[in-house]
Amino acid sequence: MAPAKKPSKPTKAKAKPVAKAKKPATKPLAGNEDIFLADPTLFDPLTPGEVADALRTLTEDRRLSSMAKVGRYRVIATEPLVVKPPSLMAGHRLARVVAYDNSSDRCIDACIDLDAGVVSHLEFNRSQPMLSRDEEALAIAIATSDDRVRGQLALGDGPQATMHYWGRNDQDLAFARRSAAVVFGRDGQSSLVVVVDLIDNTVTQVVPSEQW
Amino acid sequence: MANNLIQEANWKFHWRLTESAGIMVYLADYRGRRVLWEGSMPYVTIDHQRDLDVETDAGESHGQWWTPLGARTINGPVRVQSFRGGVELSASFVSGPYHYTQLWRFHDDGRINPWLTIFGPGIHDQHTYHPHWRFDFDLDGARDDAFERFEDGRWQRVEQEGWFPYGGEADEHGQVWRQVDFGSGAAINIRPHQWDDAEVFAIRYHEGEWPPFSPRSGAGMQPFPAAYVGNEPLDGDDVTLWYVAHVHFDQSFPYTAGPWIKVHGF
Repeated sequence: MAPAKKPSKPTKAKAKPVAKAKKPATKPLAGNEDIFLADPTLFDPLTPGEVADALRTLTEDRRLSSMAKVGRYRVIATEPLVVKPPSLMAGHRLARVVAYDNSSDRCIDACIDLDAGVVSHLEFNRSQPMLSRDEEALAIAIATSDDRVRGQLALGDGPQATMHYWGRNDQDLAFARRSAAVVFGRDGQSSLVVVVDLIDNTVTQVVPSEQW
Repeated sequence: MANNLIQEANWKFHWRLTESAGIMVYLADYRGRRVLWEGSMPYVTIDHQRDLDVETDAGESHGQWWTPLGARTINGPVRVQSFRGGVELSASFVSGPYHYTQLWRFHDDGRINPWLTIFGPGIHDQHTYHPHWRFDFDLDGARDDAFERFEDGRWQRVEQEGWFPYGGEADEHGQVWRQVDFGSGAAINIRPHQWDDAEVFAIRYHEGEWPPFSPRSGAGMQPFPAAYVGNEPLDGDDVTLWYVAHVHFDQSFPYTAGPWIKVHGF
């Protein structure tokens, strides 16, 4: 296997002298709450009611009022989250909600405490979460209705996959803007890659697969 | 709620299918002692490179892409099967021209194989897969842990978070990295696949630094998990490890990436 190219990385950490281990004579029971108090049911998938509860609680939070009012956001994922002691949230039924606000081009990463009915952690950042199912469907719809795309598809070609895509450098619109790449083809062979800008809902690149 | 508890081959663990991180295994105990809080595969990114020389990367015009391995790409059920000396979970995922089989194999001698078999033609031959695994090992509990790497002929303690690529050195068993519990002396040893071109990120566990739903932390910024790496001390704290493989497609595919993990001292 040839060595593969890697993404940029942080500075290589230097090996440090071996530190003397702080070894207690016996491990105190109090240090192992994460074992004794771990409840496997907290990892269970959220019920539809829990998902609805989490989203209601989040959108009613004042910090998100502008996002909820404009309504140009998409919920990317809602999944159970389990945290360990000594966190105050340990042992609580938690939902992690990740949403993307198109109006402000930012990601919302929130933890909802379903036991307490509150938003217990809320973070706004510039990360690009995975595409939601709605965004995947939207990207396919935009790509298949574009004349440049239709002109290059062969008989029987259809959308095979929708990938979350970002450009390699700032010469590419998809470097900073939320984008999808729709792969067209048939019988497991791809023929065309279409990049869709999900902010303006436009096709930005149409590239034969072999040239990608 | 489906009961996804498995008790077999000296192991007791739970599993569930996630939205984007494949099959997650959680609360895994070996011989009655806690080994793993949770382990998953947050993403497999793919990039297309006609020139594999890292130094001449400027000619590449397209960036990376990925699609979640989870509920929307699974192809068939999650399979639970016993094998001689252990039990395994497996699931197939399909996303257009990219095909995967995720495996979690638990051996009765304390080995764990979190593996990914990569199939499919891709859109052309010149592409590289970057599967990322995230392990939150809690040996006998979350704290009192340390991280070590084998370097300069001996195991060396790592004091701070960082990126630790496999540089070709390993102990007599092929182990390159390990997480040690101070209290019990138990350890998790990690041996990379020889052809994985592997690296490990060691990161202190934090609330808020939960498994990301994308490698993309922001335009022009370090991707996850590198974006989580700071200068925080690891010694005696709760450590999260990421194992990343870099696998270039070639005609010998399918290829199975992922580490050998061995529990020691239980």
